[in-house]
Amino acid sequence: MMLEEFSAWLVWVIPLFASLFVPLIGKYSDKARNYFVVAIAAVTAALALSLVPSVWNGTGQALTTGSVSWLPGISAGVYIDPLSVLFTCLIGFFALIIAVYSIGYMKGEDGLSRYYYLILLFIGSMIGLVLADNMLQMFIFWEMVGLCSYALISFWYKPESIRAGVKVFIMTRIGDIALLAAIGILFLMFNTLSFRGVIDGIQTGGFNMDYMVIVAFLVLGGAIAKSAQLPLFTWLYSAMEAPTSVSALLHAATMVKAGVYLLARFILIFSVAPTLISALQPLWFPVIAWIGVLTAIVGATLALTTTDIKGVLAYSTVSQIGFMMAGLGAAIDGAASVGWFASLFHMVSHAFFEGLGFLLAGGIIHAIGTRDMRLMGGLRKAMPISFALMAIMIITTSGLPPFAAFFSKGLIITSVTDTGNLLQIILLYATTAITFAYVVRMFSLVFMGKESEHLQKQHVHEAPRVMLVPAFILAGFCIIWGLSEPLVASFMHVNLAEGLLGAFMNIETPIFLSLLIPTGLIAYYTYYKGYKGVRNVAAGKNPLSTLLNHAYFFDDAYNLIGKGLTGFSEGLTRVENALFGRYPDNAGTRVSHAADPGQATTLKRGPSSSFRNYVAAAVVGFILIAVLMILTGALGIGV
Amino acid sequence: MTLPILLAVFAIPTISIPFVYFTGKKSPKAAAIFVALIALINIGLVLSIVPTILDSAKHVYTESYAWIPTLNSTRFSLFLDGMSASVALISLVLIFVAALFSVNYMAGKKNLPSYYALLCMLSVGLVGVFLTSNLLLFYFCWELMLVPAYFIVGEWGYRNSYKSAFKLFIFTHAGAVFVLLGIGAIYYLTGTTEMFVAQAQLMTAAPDIIKWILIALTAGFAVKMAVFPVHMWLPDAHSEAPAPMSALLSGVIISAGAYAILRLSFGIVFPAVGEAFGTNFLYALSIVGVITAFFGSFLALVATDIKRLIAYSSIAHMGYIMFGLSLFPIALASGNPVLLASASAIAIVGTILHIVTHAASKGLFFLTAGGVMHQTEERDIRKMGGLASKMPFTTVSGTIAALSIAGAPPLACFISEFLIFIGAFQIIQIDNFYILPTALMLVATVFSLAYSLRFVSKVFLGTSKDEAGAEEAHKDASEHIKEEAHKILDIPVYMKISLGILVVLVVLIGIYPTFFMNLIQTVRFG
Repeated sequence: MMLEEFSAWLVWVIPLFASLFVPLIGKYSDKARNYFVVAIAAVTAALALSLVPSVWNGTGQALTTGSVSWLPGISAGVYIDPLSVLFTCLIGFFALIIAVYSIGYMKGEDGLSRYYYLILLFIGSMIGLVLADNMLQMFIFWEMVGLCSYALISFWYKPESIRAGVKVFIMTRIGDIALLAAIGILFLMFNTLSFRGVIDGIQTGGFNMDYMVIVAFLVLGGAIAKSAQLPLFTWLYSAMEAPTSVSALLHAATMVKAGVYLLARFILIFSVAPTLISALQPLWFPVIAWIGVLTAIVGATLALTTTDIKGVLAYSTVSQIGFMMAGLGAAIDGAASVGWFASLFHMVSHAFFEGLGFLLAGGIIHAIGTRDMRLMGGLRKAMPISFALMAIMIITTSGLPPFAAFFSKGLIITSVTDTGNLLQIILLYATTAITFAYVVRMFSLVFMGKESEHLQKQHVHEAPRVMLVPAFILAGFCIIWGLSEPLVASFMHVNLAEGLLGAFMNIETPIFLSLLIPTGLIAYYTYYKGYKGVRNVAAGKNPLSTLLNHAYFFDDAYNLIGKGLTGFSEGLTRVENALFGRYPDNAGTRVSHAADPGQATTLKRGPSSSFRNYVAAAVVGFILIAVLMILTGALGIGV
Repeated sequence: MTLPILLAVFAIPTISIPFVYFTGKKSPKAAAIFVALIALINIGLVLSIVPTILDSAKHVYTESYAWIPTLNSTRFSLFLDGMSASVALISLVLIFVAALFSVNYMAGKKNLPSYYALLCMLSVGLVGVFLTSNLLLFYFCWELMLVPAYFIVGEWGYRNSYKSAFKLFIFTHAGAVFVLLGIGAIYYLTGTTEMFVAQAQLMTAAPDIIKWILIALTAGFAVKMAVFPVHMWLPDAHSEAPAPMSALLSGVIISAGAYAILRLSFGIVFPAVGEAFGTNFLYALSIVGVITAFFGSFLALVATDIKRLIAYSSIAHMGYIMFGLSLFPIALASGNPVLLASASAIAIVGTILHIVTHAASKGLFFLTAGGVMHQTEERDIRKMGGLASKMPFTTVSGTIAALSIAGAPPLACFISEFLIFIGAFQIIQIDNFYILPTALMLVATVFSLAYSLRFVSKVFLGTSKDEAGAEEAHKDASEHIKEEAHKILDIPVYMKISLGILVVLVVLIGIYPTFFMNLIQTVRFG
C-alpha cells in the first residue's frame, strides 16, 4: 500500500472511529472532549494536506484502486485524484475551523457530546464520500451525511427544528433514489460498482448510449436535491434551524457541495469517451446550465427579501451553487473545459466567504439572541471586529476585485459566455447585481443605522476570541484565494487559457462593475437616505412581494402534496379499520400492565360474532390474490 | 457417523419444555434465562455446521432418521444450507433476546411459567420450519409455530387480545389449509414427502396441476407474510401481543412465509411450471409486493398507536420482500439450477439478506417500543415526546432501529435493500416489465423514511407532554406528587442487554454483511 493510500484511508477512518470515543470522554470532562475533537480535526486536516504533494506531482489520473475485500465481489478502496483531494483538503480545513469555533459558539449548551459525536461522524462521512472508490461506498456516505445533517438540524429538539430536520431528510431522499437508480443502471451495464471499472467500461465502449443518458439525468437529480437547486432548493432555508456552526460546516462549506462533487466526478468519468460527451451536449449540459442560472437568480432574489440573517446566507448559498452548476453546465467539452474548473474553484471560494458569513452571523446571534435582522442595526460600534470582517465578506461575495470571488465567479461567467447562450449570460449578470444588493442590504440592516430598541435593552459584546480567530483565517483566505488560481489550476492539472491578469483585462469586468453602480445607488438611497420606494414595494401587498415572501410557492406546493398524502393515508386507515379493525386506531388509552391482574381472565371470552367476519375477510383476500394471479396469467401482462 | 447436531437443535428445546415450566414455578427469571440459554446453545450448534456448509461441494448439510416407516417410509430428515442457516440463526438470536427482554417486561404478570414454556415450544416450531426437508415435518412445525403464538398473544396481550389472537389463528390457519392442500397434492403426484426428491419428480407431472399447487402454496404462505390483501390479522395481533412476542412475530415468523415461498414454491414447484405461467406468476407477485409496500407505508404514516405504526411498517417491508421474491431469476423457469453466487441472482441474495436484516431491525424496533411502553405506560405517540433526555439508551436504540427500517446506511436494512434494487436493475435487462415496479419501490423508500422519522420525532424528540402540563400540575399538590411517582426512567438492565445485542447486530450487519452474504450465496435452487 502506498503512503498516500494509507493516509487517504486514515483521513476518514480516524474521525469515524474517534467519534465513538466522544461520549465516553464527555462523561468525564467537557474540556477534554472539546480538545479531543479539535485534536482529531487537526489530525484530519494534516492528513488531508499530506495527500497534496503526490497528486500535485502525479498525472491528474487516479492514483489507486480498491484493494480491501469487503462484500463478495466488491472491494473497498480510496480514489485519490485532484478532484477528491481538493474536496478532502477543504473538508479537513473546515473541520478544524468549526471544531475551534464550536468551543466558543456552543459553550454551555446541553447535549454537547451528541453534538461533537455527530460533527466527527459527519467529517468522516463527508471525506469518505469524496474519497470513495466505488459507488456503494459513496452512496453509504452520501446517505450518512444526510443522516448527520438531519440529526444536527434537530439538535435543539425544538418543534420547528425537528420539523425542519425531517423535511430536509425527506427532500434529499428524493434525490438519493435517483442516484440509487443511476448506480443500478451503471451496474447493469458494467457489472461493477467501482469508478475504475465504470471508466474502463466506458473506454472500451461497451455501453448503451440511451442508458448512459438516463444515468446522466438521474445523477443530475441526485445532485439537485443534495445541492439545493431548483425545484428542491427550499430545504436549505429550513436547515437554518441548526446551530450556526453546523450551518457553516454542512450547509455552506461541505455537505451541500456533495451534489457539485457528484456532477464534477461524473463529468470526469463521462469525459473518457468523446462520443458520450457529444451525446450529452444537446440536452444534459444545457439542462444543468439552466437549472444553475435559474437557481442563481431565484436564490438571489429571495436573499434580497428575507429578514432572517441566516436566511440571507442560506439563499445566498443556493444562488452561489447555482453559479457552480452554471459552470458545470458550460463544461460541454467535459472535464477539459474551463467551466469544470471554474465551478470547482468557485466552490472553494464560496466555502470561504459563505463560511465567514456564517461564523460572523453566529457571533451576532450569540451576542443578541435573535436571527431577525429587523431587530438589529448599528452593531458596528458594539462589534467592530465583526463589522470589519463582514465588510471583507460582502466585498468577496459581491465579486469585487481582487478578492476570491472576483476570479472564480468571473471564470464561471467567462465559461458561460463561451457557450454563447445570451439569455443565460444576461441572467447571470443580473444575479451578480442582485448579489451586490442583498449583501449591502444585510450589511446595512445589521451594522449601519441606529441601534434598534431590542439592542438598546441589552449589553452587546464582541464575539469571544475563540470564535474570531477562525473568522480571521477565513477572511485571509477570502483575500488570497483568488490569487492562487494558477497554482490551483496546476494542482488540478487543468490548462487555463488566460492568467490572473487576464481576469482584469476581460470584457466581463467592466460590464460587471458598471452593473454595480445602479444597484449600489438604489441600495444607498434605500438604506441610508431613507427613500421608501423600494421598501414600500417589498413590504406592500403586490404580486412581487407575495411571490418572494412565499419563496415562489415551492414550499406551499410541497405542503399541499404532503397534506394530500396524509389525507389519503388517513382515509385508507379509516376504510381499513371500518372493514377489519376492532378499535378506532386513535383510542390512545394507557397500558394497563400489572395494574389489573384479573384483566386477562375477565376478558378470556371465546370469540363469537366476529368469527364469520374473519372467515369472510380471509376468503375475500384469497379470492383477490387468486384473481390477480389468474388475471396476470390470462392477460399475459408483459409477455 | 456424523454427530446428530440438527437433531439436537430440535430435541434440546423440545425436551426442555417441561423443565422450563417447572423452573418457572420456582422463579420466572430463571425460566427466562433457561430459554435464552437453550437458544444460545442452538446458536452454537448451528454455527458449528456453518463451516461444513461453506466447504462441502453441494453446500448442504443433512441428517436423516427413521420416522414413520408405514407412510412410504417417511423419514425425519433435517438439513441445513446457507439460506436456512442464516434465517435459523437470526430466529435463534431473536428468541434469545426476547427471552431476556421478558425478564423485565413480563415481571409481575400471571402464569409466567406457561409463558416461558410456550416460548420454548415456539422456538421448536420456528427453527424446525427452517431445518427440515420433509414436507410432513415442515407442516408440523409450521402449525407448531402458530399454537404457542395464539396463546401468548391471547393470554399476555394488551386488552381483549384473545380476539386478536383468534384473528391471528383463523387467518394463518386458513393459510395453512392451503399449504396443506399444496403439500398433499405434491405427495399425491410424487408419492414422497421428501422435498428434494419430490422436486425432480414434479418435473414430469402435468403443468396444469403444478400451476394450482404453486398458487395454493404461495397464497398460503402469503397469509403468513401478511401481504395485501390478506394482511388484516397482522396490525391487531402484532400491536396487542406482548412486546417480545411482537418482535418474534414481526421479526421472523412472518418472514418464515417468505422463506417457505423461496424453499417450497420456488425451490420445489416453480421449476416444473411452464415458463409462460412462471413469468406471469412472478409479475403478479411483484404487483402484490408494490401494493403491499405502499399500503403499509401509508397506514404507518398516520398510525398513532406506537406498536400499530411498527406493525404497518412490517407490512410495508413484507412488500419489499415480496418484490424481491418476484425477481427470482426467470432462468429458473427453464429448469436450470441457479447458483446464487452467479451475478444475475443478486436480488435473491438481497431478499434473503433482507429477511435477516429486517428480523434484526424489526425485533429491535418492537423491543424499543416495548421498553417505551413499559416505562411510560403510554401507547399513543401523540402523547409522547421528549423521551430523549429521560431514556437516552432507548432513544439511541430506537433511532437506530427506525433508521435501519428506513433503509439508511450504514445500518442493516440498507445493504439488503441496496442489493434488491441492484438486482432489480439487472432483471430489467432481461425483462423490462420490472421497470415500473422497481421505480415504484424506490419511491416507497421515501415513505418508509417518512414514517420512521415521524416515529423518532414524536416519541423521542420534542418536548415532553408532561412537562408542557407541568405548571398546571404544580398548582395541585397531590397532582405534583403523582407526577413524581410517574417520573420516567430509562429501561432496566435486562432490557438494555437485549436491545444492546440487537443494536450491535444491526450496525455490524450494515457495515460488514459478508458473513451472511457468503452463507446465502452458497444456496442452490432447482
